[in-house]
Amino acid sequence: MNAVPLAMVEVSDRSGRLLVRHAVRHWPLTIGRALSADLVLDDPHVAGEHLRLDRDAEGVLRAQVLDTVNGVALGRQRHDAGGAFVWNDIDTLDIGRLHLRVRLADSPLAPEQALPRFPWGMAGLTVLAVLAAFAADFVTNWIQVDDPQKRAQRLPGQLLAMAGALGGWAGAWALLSKLFAGHPNFWRHVRIASMAFAGAVVLAALSNLLAFMFSWESLALHDELVWAAVAALAVYLHLQLVVLRRRVLLAGLVAGVSLLGAGTVLGSTWMQHKRLARDLYMASLFPPGWRVAPAVPVRQFVDEASALKARVDERRRTQEAAGAEDDDD
Amino acid sequence: MGFVTLRVVCLLVTLMVPVLLRAQGASAPASVSKAPAAPVSADAQRTYEGARGKLVQIRTLLRNTNTQSSVGSGFHVSADGRILTNFHVASQLALEPDRYRAVSVAVDGRQAELELLAFDVQHDLALLRPREPVAGQAALEFRAADAPLARGERIFSLGNPLDIGFAVTEGTFNGMVQRSFYPRIFFGGALNPGMSGGPALDGSGRVVGVNVSKRLDGELVSFLIPAEFAVRLLERGRDDKPLRGPAHAEITRQLLAHQALLSQRFTSSPLKLQKHGGYQVPVPDDALARCWGRGRDPDSKGFEVERTDCRVDSQVFAGEFTTGFVRVRHEAYDAPRYSALRFARRYSESFRNERFASRPSRHKTSAECTERFVERDGLPIRAVVCINAYRKLPGLYDVSVLMTTLNRPRQGVQGRLDANGVSFENGLKLVQYYLDGYRWEAAP
Repeated sequence: MNAVPLAMVEVSDRSGRLLVRHAVRHWPLTIGRALSADLVLDDPHVAGEHLRLDRDAEGVLRAQVLDTVNGVALGRQRHDAGGAFVWNDIDTLDIGRLHLRVRLADSPLAPEQALPRFPWGMAGLTVLAVLAAFAADFVTNWIQVDDPQKRAQRLPGQLLAMAGALGGWAGAWALLSKLFAGHPNFWRHVRIASMAFAGAVVLAALSNLLAFMFSWESLALHDELVWAAVAALAVYLHLQLVVLRRRVLLAGLVAGVSLLGAGTVLGSTWMQHKRLARDLYMASLFPPGWRVAPAVPVRQFVDEASALKARVDERRRTQEAAGAEDDDD
Repeated sequence: MGFVTLRVVCLLVTLMVPVLLRAQGASAPASVSKAPAAPVSADAQRTYEGARGKLVQIRTLLRNTNTQSSVGSGFHVSADGRILTNFHVASQLALEPDRYRAVSVAVDGRQAELELLAFDVQHDLALLRPREPVAGQAALEFRAADAPLARGERIFSLGNPLDIGFAVTEGTFNGMVQRSFYPRIFFGGALNPGMSGGPALDGSGRVVGVNVSKRLDGELVSFLIPAEFAVRLLERGRDDKPLRGPAHAEITRQLLAHQALLSQRFTSSPLKLQKHGGYQVPVPDDALARCWGRGRDPDSKGFEVERTDCRVDSQVFAGEFTTGFVRVRHEAYDAPRYSALRFARRYSESFRNERFASRPSRHKTSAECTERFVERDGLPIRAVVCINAYRKLPGLYDVSVLMTTLNRPRQGVQGRLDANGVSFENGLKLVQYYLDGYRWEAAP
């Protein structure tokens, strides 16, 4: 017998773990659950004699599906009992619940790959992302605490809390990644979490700022939706590192759940208050020079306010009809 | 903006005994035992003897259970048994005649079922009569309007305090209450819950006023409704048919008249201009409103706030709640050493913690608001107008305007006007009048 096998067939389970590595020393090769098969697979969804592989005169690897209920799938293509197809050695063949790969001895060998170097670019990006998150937290607190002494006192605790929160969050996701995808991807989770936090802070501030500048009140009244959208995006990116397949479904699922959540919150606010925002008016003020929207004369504003009459009378009609059941004011 | 403490807390209570108070009556609340018993003089004795047969206690009873819901006092004003009392004593009868009925109890214990003839919400008066016709009832007489009392003159207030028994308390006439929207007599004597609607008599036994309320934060600071309004109600309602069904329409009509007067007086009295730096801030006239101010806090650490809180004492009791008043407040901020952004943050916080009716309550709808940048003589302002309606009083609204100046990065004024129980048009008129009062004058 030749010492160099003709081919190598690798059998792995659904999570990609290698179960069997079979050296092919003669063609044809039968695959099945029966002990008489050349390659024996212990999977109840595999027939006794499930598949036969052979190489023709041109060296093409041909597969013949034998007497099986489930057939096989090459990539997305299904082949039922009696079918025949050419198996190039790139695609994975699904048989029962197992995945098969084949490597022919005479296929050209891919060149040796250099070991990955320390990913300076990614590390730099991670540092930038984390710094952005800390900066967002710092600036928020810096504006909120007026007393410089108090600010200095709070700084260490604040940094520690931020580091703890980031680490804990990314760590939890890394654990899930390790569990389901095999690799923790901790720093990628850190990047996602940091960028999401910084992004949410900036976007929420921006929506309040734009609301003030252009007098777009609804932007300020719904800034929690900005947070929700960024959070949904972050959760999707985290999940991508946990669940490796079916990304489109995943995206749809996260989007669906987020929309449902936002809809529920808006809906319950509507049911309670007959309006979509909890706040009655825009309260975020910025330095006066930043205002862009024009100011109208008092007369015009008061004239426009007359339109409230119809709205408040409508409330009186509906709430009068509803009775006086909700009276916690 | 937020007023956590007001220097003087005004605790004005009406003198009806509600259920709760009565329940604890036996355990002698502080107000009962502490109130110094006025020395009963011969005059008081004579006055009481003269008024004895003309006094009644008015009990409001739950129709279902016949238990007392509230008690007050009253007095006969005509030979056919007509009784005068406070509106707030008879308000349950007026608003929910299906649930409540009222009886009068004379000093000798005789009871009579009562009917409501007329009321005056503005002055808190009501006219009742017994359901069964009476003849020859002894009645009190009113002191003539052209015979004014002198300050310090002795007067006697009668009624049934805390459902304990008829009493006479002696006190002095101290003139009229300052800055009261409607005339009120300042009575230097003890009034207790349950005496509401009872008469206050001069030395010759003539009615000079009707007991109405007292201040909780003072001693012997009580108020009477001048007799002239009682006379007017008697003349107006003497021959009215008894009111059947809830009186919301009539209350609304009277409150509309009240708010028309209030708005007219407010907008026709010149606004005072208070200065804060370059800002001129409108505050109501001294004669109309009572204002309390608070200056800079030494611990403010560079963020200076000056506050003013004004209120027109025109609130009237409309059954279950008071309305019909105007409140004007503002805070002026100055923080020269702050960065513009941090000032904006503090300024926003102040602007944010203002409350409007965001949920409906038993009596009012939730608010509808509109907001905009407005300009007053080159002074940019952010203004929010919020309006809610009274559920059972169509045509009446609470109109509020909240404003903040936006012309200086480290300085500003935030103000608010609340007009409660006004018509929509008058509410907006007040908003315009208030916003028009703001001015900025650049430093010379």
